[in-house]
Amino acid sequence: MSTIGRLLKRYWMFLALAVLLVYPLLYRAPYYHVVGFNTLMVATAATGWNILGGYTGYKSLGHSTFFGINAYLVAIAANQLGWNPLWSAPLLALVVALVALGLGWIMARAKGSAFVIATIAMLLIFRLLALNLKSITGGAPGLSQPLAPWSPEYSRMPFYYYMLFWLVVALLVSRYIRRSRFGLGLLAIRDDEGKANMVGVNTTMSKVLAFGVSAYFIALGGGIWSYAQTHIAPIFAFNILNDVDTVLATMLGGLGTLWGPVLGAFILIPGADYILFNFGASQIHLAVFGVLMVVIILFMPRGILPSLRDRLVAREETSSAFTGARSMEEMSDDRAGDELEVGETP
Amino acid sequence: MSLPSSNVLIQVIVIGLLTGGVYAVMVSGLTLIFGVMKIINIAHAAFMVLSAYLAYWLFTGFGIDPLLSMIGIVPLFFFIGKLTQRRILAPVGDDPGLLVLLTFALAITLEGVLGSISGTTIRTVRTGYTSSIIPVQLGSDLTLRLPLVRLTGFVASFLVLGVLWLILNRSNLGRAIRATIQNSEAAQLVGVNISRVRSTTFGIGLASVAIGGALFSLIFSFNGSSHVVWISKMLAIIVLGGLGSLPGALIAALILGVAEAVSAVTMTTYISPIVFFLILFLTLIFRPQGLMGAKVREG
Repeated sequence: MSTIGRLLKRYWMFLALAVLLVYPLLYRAPYYHVVGFNTLMVATAATGWNILGGYTGYKSLGHSTFFGINAYLVAIAANQLGWNPLWSAPLLALVVALVALGLGWIMARAKGSAFVIATIAMLLIFRLLALNLKSITGGAPGLSQPLAPWSPEYSRMPFYYYMLFWLVVALLVSRYIRRSRFGLGLLAIRDDEGKANMVGVNTTMSKVLAFGVSAYFIALGGGIWSYAQTHIAPIFAFNILNDVDTVLATMLGGLGTLWGPVLGAFILIPGADYILFNFGASQIHLAVFGVLMVVIILFMPRGILPSLRDRLVAREETSSAFTGARSMEEMSDDRAGDELEVGETP
Repeated sequence: MSLPSSNVLIQVIVIGLLTGGVYAVMVSGLTLIFGVMKIINIAHAAFMVLSAYLAYWLFTGFGIDPLLSMIGIVPLFFFIGKLTQRRILAPVGDDPGLLVLLTFALAITLEGVLGSISGTTIRTVRTGYTSSIIPVQLGSDLTLRLPLVRLTGFVASFLVLGVLWLILNRSNLGRAIRATIQNSEAAQLVGVNISRVRSTTFGIGLASVAIGGALFSLIFSFNGSSHVVWISKMLAIIVLGGLGSLPGALIAALILGVAEAVSAVTMTTYISPIVFFLILFLTLIFRPQGLMGAKVREG
């Protein structure tokens, strides 16, 4: 393998980060910043969701509850207390994560389909509350909050960079968990919860913690989104389609891998926007997402990254059969690659 | 919360029972499918909305009454169900998480297609008898006023449930289905063609929700995205009744129909849907086996 190839394999994420840092400066139209922001938001949410859905296998369809709760908390704090959303979003997301720990403790009693139903019910309960607690949430018309102080010329650019920062944090946390004892416990739950329990993993505690951590990054996105929108309403804040975005991005990229949710979001969100831009109706976008989800589950249930990896490994094995034994250097190189990708597959 | 007079309360309870009867036919397929396949078919309500739309289009386009158009829609849904199970669900295997996501994907696909065709306008089928009311004299100062469509729905539901009961208890297919519900491996050992039973059950499930959809179109208003709220109501019913139990689903449907109607009168109409979600939540947590079923935490 050439030197450049080897460097790329090891440091590609810094290159990707550089591209993401430069992107809003090259494409100045606000439209690009909006799409970029949404992509980063879904990537962060999917990275968070993956800690529960990918690592433990408990697939929630109601995590946008936490997105909505924090969107409202941030807006209310900005209006009533004058808190700046840029710091109150991550702070209040902690409060939401605590709420999620409580709800997760209740929900952890259900498994499989029952768990999925309970999460959907959770979302609908909170949506009804947001619609009907008019004195707090403003009811169906929603809530407004002060505009960001910077010039409209910069539009979403600051939000974009802020979200990018939190995506990096989410990835570091996801990577840390993946390699920790706690993370191993989560993977054990996915593989066989009964056995995991038997060998000493505190499965309930692990699931509840994973529930809370995943809720944190989704809540965080909700808080920042709330500030960027300046006006929020229940039908957008508590929307099962937010869950569709998150789940689909994770499944597309690779469930349970570190980079899969990010890759999925970077394909899905700009793609969806392209469809929306060219075909208009958001209903078609829904149908396309639905069909895409069916296709992924039927033909690529593990997502892009694990499938690609398998193919690469298979090719390397056939080629090494012709070139003879590989050198030690190459083999250690492979191992470095393993560490970067982290995504061991189910 | 203030209690209305007892006459009003009786009226409300009777209407709740009638509505509950319609709920029973909506969810009968869902609980049957779970019993046989251990799948929660999240697309169930979306198929119901699809059936309601077909009834609506046949009514507005050709003036065919929804009760009549069922004759065509029901067999169609049976084959759609059989095909869906064979081509889409069966290849995925047993992972309940993936299967739930798959049926969810089917649901949003249907929502997207219906929304693209019909927009987001709220539809309802208004026949000549939609607002007819049948008064029933019960004593000197108590007259029940029964909406004809709900009464029709109630009667039709019991016919459908009766037919389902006959199929399950008086036919070879029914025996195979019940055997599969009890123990699919043992059923296979004694010669039941499990994959056939599964696809047929899914077909029957969708056929029953096609009837539910036609009745639904007469009583409720809907658009493409209505299924999200309705699947939650349906799940609340079958979880309360005990997943996989048909009698349980009937009882739970009647209970929830009444609970919803009463809470709408005593509190506000906004709060009444919350009754479903809270009951769903609390049942899952404190009595996962529901009223008459096996534990579903593992489901």
